[in-house]
Amino acid sequence: MQNILSVEKIEKYYGNKGNITKAIDNISFKVNEGEFLGIMGPSGSGKTTLLNCISTIDNVTTGNIIINNKNITVLKAKALEEFRRDELGFIFQDFNLLDTLTAYENIALALTIQKRDIREIDNLIKEVASKLEITEILSKYPFQLSGGQKQRVACARALVTEPSLILADEPTGALDSKSSRLLLDSFEKLNKEYHSTILMVTHDSFTASYANRILFIKDGRIFNELIRGSDTRKEFFNKIIEVVSLLGGDVGNVL
Amino acid sequence: MFSKIAINNVKRSFRDYSIYFLTLTLAVCIFYSFNSIESQNAILELNKNKTFMLTLNKVIAGTSIFVSFVLGGLIIYANKFLIKKRKKELGIYMTLGMSKGKISKILIFETLLIGVLSLVVGVVLGIIASQGLSVLVANILSVDLNKYKFTISLSAVIKSVVYFGIIFLLVMIFNQFTISKYKLIDMLNAAKKNEEVKLKNSFVSVLIFILSVGLLAAAYTRILKTGLNADNSDLLVTIMMGVIGTLLFFFSLSNFFIHIVQWNKKIYLKDINIFVLRQINNKINTNFLSMTLICLMLFLTITLLFSAFDIKGSIDRNSAANNDFDASAFLIVNNENEDSKVNNIEDYLNEINFTFEAYEKHTFYSDYKLNIKIENLLSKYLSKQEQIDLEENYLDGEISALKISDYNSIIKLKGQNAIDLKENEVLVVSNYSQVNSALPEYMKNENIIHIDNKAYAIKNEAPIEESIKNMGGAKFFYLIIPDTFNGGLELEFTGFNVMYDDSYSEKSEEKFATLFTNFSEDKYRDINPALVIGNTKEQIKDRDNGMAAIVVFLGLFLGLIFIISSAAVMALQQLSDASDSLERYKSLRRIGVTEKLINNAILRQSLIYFLVPLGLAVVHSIVGIRAESGNFTFHYQSIIVSSLLLVIIYGAYFYATYVGVKNIVKK
Repeated sequence: MQNILSVEKIEKYYGNKGNITKAIDNISFKVNEGEFLGIMGPSGSGKTTLLNCISTIDNVTTGNIIINNKNITVLKAKALEEFRRDELGFIFQDFNLLDTLTAYENIALALTIQKRDIREIDNLIKEVASKLEITEILSKYPFQLSGGQKQRVACARALVTEPSLILADEPTGALDSKSSRLLLDSFEKLNKEYHSTILMVTHDSFTASYANRILFIKDGRIFNELIRGSDTRKEFFNKIIEVVSLLGGDVGNVL
Repeated sequence: MFSKIAINNVKRSFRDYSIYFLTLTLAVCIFYSFNSIESQNAILELNKNKTFMLTLNKVIAGTSIFVSFVLGGLIIYANKFLIKKRKKELGIYMTLGMSKGKISKILIFETLLIGVLSLVVGVVLGIIASQGLSVLVANILSVDLNKYKFTISLSAVIKSVVYFGIIFLLVMIFNQFTISKYKLIDMLNAAKKNEEVKLKNSFVSVLIFILSVGLLAAAYTRILKTGLNADNSDLLVTIMMGVIGTLLFFFSLSNFFIHIVQWNKKIYLKDINIFVLRQINNKINTNFLSMTLICLMLFLTITLLFSAFDIKGSIDRNSAANNDFDASAFLIVNNENEDSKVNNIEDYLNEINFTFEAYEKHTFYSDYKLNIKIENLLSKYLSKQEQIDLEENYLDGEISALKISDYNSIIKLKGQNAIDLKENEVLVVSNYSQVNSALPEYMKNENIIHIDNKAYAIKNEAPIEESIKNMGGAKFFYLIIPDTFNGGLELEFTGFNVMYDDSYSEKSEEKFATLFTNFSEDKYRDINPALVIGNTKEQIKDRDNGMAAIVVFLGLFLGLIFIISSAAVMALQQLSDASDSLERYKSLRRIGVTEKLINNAILRQSLIYFLVPLGLAVVHSIVGIRAESGNFTFHYQSIIVSSLLLVIIYGAYFYATYVGVKNIVKK
């Protein structure tokens, strides 16, 4: 199986000489094609910083991040923009849909900035819309949609360009439990049926239980790793809860 | 403590304040420059002409009041944007337990700070600009600026301070009012406000758009057909049609436009055109009222500037012509009175004890009316419309006549050779060829004029266009008749022309100028009831220049204020919209839109936003200027000058806006 993402000994420091905060402290891991990786951790653990570094929004202090055989830590600003545009798909907690555009236009925008052929744009949008079951709402504006629908439109936007890697930052953070479940079902479907590679950051155990593998992060380091293997989601969920309670508790009490 | 917060606020949000500050400063600068006009060198040179100064001062005072209303509205509008932008900040002060009264105090102090700062900078800039203006004024008034000196007009400074002080006071009161109205929850959530996307039926928007275009077209044809000479009520209907048409145009434009573009997938689905289109649609849709206002204001500005420069051009050309004599006067003959002292200017001058010096070369003449009318003479060569034009401009009626001996002495005064005229010959002296082509046609095709059933041959082939007295730009039609002429003649004027001697010209000028001023003030009516009108060449020049000056000043003053106001409103709308759209740009960046594309989108948005009202205003202006072209002759120079002014100021605001929006988005 092809390796999509490899993170090699990255560190990220904030602050100045006298006062350094290590947001990421020597993290390494790999993601293969078709994997659904979850990253969990309490707030302040550095998971968002990690995602920002992978998504090229932020840069690392040391170490390498290689996506699809390209070392993004050495790319120039302009090349980064293009890379972000062509290789990555983003799903955000607050959707980041443009409120002035219809759902259709929001999805189309991701294609037009890639300068795709006009004739293929319409087909691609219809295809991805049927995958995510949003064909009926394509002509609506974001303010006319429910949270779950918005997130699925955002999902379609991230997916339509067929990126190597989909990055999801707390995708269920702003959704009620029913919408969350619907969205995660779509994620599972995308991962299983279309072999999309997904990297999802969350602090919600239920959301995380949809992933194949989970990395737990605390204080900028990898604390634990869980692999679902042949577990049912329920079993996997219970394992997650165990680790989370460890994570959340005082380290002194656990060890 | 509050002053510290206020000062820090101004420092910190300097970028937000920059357009506001720029507008205020420019307004003060222009206001000062134009009010300082009375103390400028060139004008001081002209100070001899008291009536001109008085008119100028009155006109500028009146316009200043009108302009201060426009500026007051603008400043309050700009201030509203600032307050809106800072709602959240003010809300945080309130959650910290600051009372509304204290917040008001901070705002008052801020307004005061900005006000004083812009007033000082504006007046200083105004003082610098007015030095440049004085060169322009000297140019317009054709005054030699041999002794240039730096001037500061104290009265203009005081006036600027008082007028703008009142405006700032109004702004403060307005702020208090706004603050007291706000609720805390709205202030804290101001940034999250939902964008109201007005969904409109596409069919209706297309219909309204077609209606608006139809209305505008109808208004255009009406105004082009009737010109500005139409009945007042008719003109009012046309103007209303134009205004409503413009309003509906902006109301429906963006929706209509979006449907058109959506049709063309090549444009619609290129880069982030979708986004640009929706942004513009949103803005024009919500701001259609101010768009309409700005469009009409720009239209006024263009026509104003154009007319001002055009009138100046016409005046300049007119005063260049037909003022051949250093001084010239005539007496209006009263044919019911047989007394020669009342009808003969020579006797009249004797009676008021006026004598010519030996070095003042002069000649007397008598000006008659013939029994033949201009419109009858030329009737064969006049179209209906030309005949009506003649009547409307009082160019019809009996032809004037001068005897050849009088005429010869007049042209000899000018240094020309006498003309020999036979008993059956006449000379045509007229500039009617400037009115229409009837006279040259007549002289080309016929060489005989019948007067009182007697035929006279026309001696000259083309009319002589030099007048027999100083007439400014007026039109004249004289036949020079033989001394032996025995047809019907009625004496109309008796007059004299004078040429000064070079070495005494100043002395003579003063003497005749006083005499003519006395004529116009009826100083001699007690001695002799005759009505005499006279002008020296210098007097005519000064009067024309004064007219030109007033017209150009007003045009410039109002034009500049209008451009600045509309450009400032556009800029403020763009900037406030940019900070409202910050989230959208963030989203764009996150999905991988490059900086280049974003900058490009900003440029296109600003450009379209600035160009749309200007575009319609230009179309309006072209039609408007066409319609009044009856009153103006078309000069390319005036078009160039007025459009240059417009482009420079409007362009500067556009650029400032573009850079400002880019900076906001970059944050």
